[in-house]
Amino acid sequence: MSEKVIPLKYIPDKGSYVENIDGKEYLISNDAMYTFYRRSKGEFSPFFLAIRDEKRLLGCRCKSCGIVRVPPFLTHCPDCNFSPTELIEVGQTGALISTPPITYFATSLFQDMAPYGRGRVVFDGADTAISINLYTTTGILRPGILKKGTRVKLVFRDKRIGEMTDIFCVPEGELTKEQVEKKGLQESDINWESPVEPGLPDATDADIEHFKRLFDEIVAIVDEMNRNDRAKKDILGWRRKILVKTKGGEFSIIIDDGNIQAVPEKVDSPDFVMVSEDPKTLLNGLAYRGAITDSVIDGRLWISKNKEFNTIFKLDRMARSVARSKKKRSNL
Amino acid sequence: MSKRVGIVGAGVTPFKGRWVEKTYYELAQMATREAVRDAGISIQDIDAVFYGIYNDIFERAAIPEHALHGLLGMQNKFGIRITTGGATGAYTISAAHAYLSAGRFRTALVLGVEKATDCFDFSSMSATPEVIKSIGWSGDSFFEQPIGWSASDSYAEVVLAYMDEHPGDLKPEITAQISSLLSQQVKTNRYAQRQFDQVTPEEVMNSRMVVYPFKELEICVYTEGAAALILAEEETARAISKASGKPVVWITGVGEANEHSFAGKNQKIMSRIMSDYYASRRAYEMAGIKDPTESIQVIELHDAFVHQLEISMAEFGLVPLGRADSLIEDGLMLEGGKYLVNPCGGLIYCGHAVGASNIMSAWSARNELIKRGLHTALVHGTGSTVAQYTVCLILEHE
Repeated sequence: MSEKVIPLKYIPDKGSYVENIDGKEYLISNDAMYTFYRRSKGEFSPFFLAIRDEKRLLGCRCKSCGIVRVPPFLTHCPDCNFSPTELIEVGQTGALISTPPITYFATSLFQDMAPYGRGRVVFDGADTAISINLYTTTGILRPGILKKGTRVKLVFRDKRIGEMTDIFCVPEGELTKEQVEKKGLQESDINWESPVEPGLPDATDADIEHFKRLFDEIVAIVDEMNRNDRAKKDILGWRRKILVKTKGGEFSIIIDDGNIQAVPEKVDSPDFVMVSEDPKTLLNGLAYRGAITDSVIDGRLWISKNKEFNTIFKLDRMARSVARSKKKRSNL
Repeated sequence: MSKRVGIVGAGVTPFKGRWVEKTYYELAQMATREAVRDAGISIQDIDAVFYGIYNDIFERAAIPEHALHGLLGMQNKFGIRITTGGATGAYTISAAHAYLSAGRFRTALVLGVEKATDCFDFSSMSATPEVIKSIGWSGDSFFEQPIGWSASDSYAEVVLAYMDEHPGDLKPEITAQISSLLSQQVKTNRYAQRQFDQVTPEEVMNSRMVVYPFKELEICVYTEGAAALILAEEETARAISKASGKPVVWITGVGEANEHSFAGKNQKIMSRIMSDYYASRRAYEMAGIKDPTESIQVIELHDAFVHQLEISMAEFGLVPLGRADSLIEDGLMLEGGKYLVNPCGGLIYCGHAVGASNIMSAWSARNELIKRGLHTALVHGTGSTVAQYTVCLILEHE
């Protein structure tokens, strides 16, 4: 089947349900507001066609003041009383005008793409910055890799469709001199560090004892989550089997539509794997003493699929829900 | 000669994460009923409505205000909708002020309303990713939407650029303290979404990273609710005030600015929020404020993010650029300090029902001026990509 404009996973079945609040019934219906387009790229067509077909980056230069804008937003310069501009090609290396943000919690459209950076690059020969995706070849994008002034290289996707997603940047420092100098560098020209499950050192008796003690604490916290309405609501409709590997032992977390369990058995065919040398990293997160999300970002906890950040957020949210309920009780 | 314009009534609905019990029709009417009652007038006394509704997708209707007009009892009268991103509410007040000031109407209803969490993402079985996706349609559609533009990452761009220029400012322990302080201030706001969600600075520091450098407890929350103001020109305002026994809070300064959407030479300066700078200076000039650090006592600031609250305070000239942390370090916004900032808890704790938010802020500023017997307040709205839009309003209590 050809790829659809809207992936099927986003589309709910027709239906409705009743929610009860203070003894009254309210009707809630699955619904969508959708419009399809045959949308013209208009005056931007040369820019997108140059990316798609020629792996070239175009800007526009004002014939009066000489300012070079990338992307080529304008056929006439607003700074020169609408003097005409002309299309020119600019370089494929440039510098970040400021430190870029990194999105870990993405909108529903971009959850498979997170974590990603989006920053503004002034390419060589240009005066203005273009907004572009930023990645590292070394795994999860963390703060500190990309900063104001970092030199970056434009990279083209192997399969291009004439959209901004056809291009992105990586730090020049992660590439060879030849790669930096190559015009039209493609993603397949780069060695991407593949996600390899980190090995764990052999466990000592003390490690195994430590694991057993902490696993009991994890079970207790997960049970508390399971008794908390707010936390249960956080995982309504969500199902995941997670295998957790630590130095002193392994266990599983099972999320099943409003229920969560920590079990000593190794679950069969897990949806994803978590690896953390010290089980305390996960325990602290579940106990609302520091976010699990941040453990993944700083490398203390490894997950086998980046898109499972989604599940990690839910676990963080459950920890907060339990903490909020406790506080609310103490306020009453 | 333009006329003086004042606030003679105000009302808000409870701000909630989800209003299953009400559609936006009923929320709009609830806030209106409160405002009219507060002013001691009848809906028939209102000449015009200015609707602040941000996002058609949230309301699931284009022209979402059309049904409201008759349902509020305003048929056959003037009605106009303002939509300017996060700054919708403040721009709506600005528009109403201009019409009244010009003498077109004697009275106006400023009504902000928003749904949000009807949006639902069936792939993650949660609302938030779909809510922020709906906001994500607000980015530039040719170049930025397709690569993951979001409200958070576009404000983060500005904050990080500011931090590039002022590496010693916006320290994580200070943003955490500000968030914690706001969570204490919200306790007295019984309309707030998070009235009982007090957090410690440590909890803020420990909360998960959402979009670097923003942590979960440093970001405003999505809210459903409505807020309304009754505005009147001077003569009418004094008559309404005399009858209701409530003082008029005058809108003595209004300033707006919209920056460039894109960065680089002759375009947006990423490390600044020049819209905050220009809008505040225009509002000060209109109000005759020479030194805002001496005049302004209450600030109801649109805190989409704690870091941006700090930068906005600096752009307003209330603290030096690069020394925004003095808000805490010098005690400026601590209890008993020089400035009362977001006594309602701000949009982080009271909630962000986008079109209604800045109107709620004006409601709070008016309450605080009257309740505490203070004189001057600044009300602020920010919005669009890279903090591009700003409206500042100066409120004065005689």
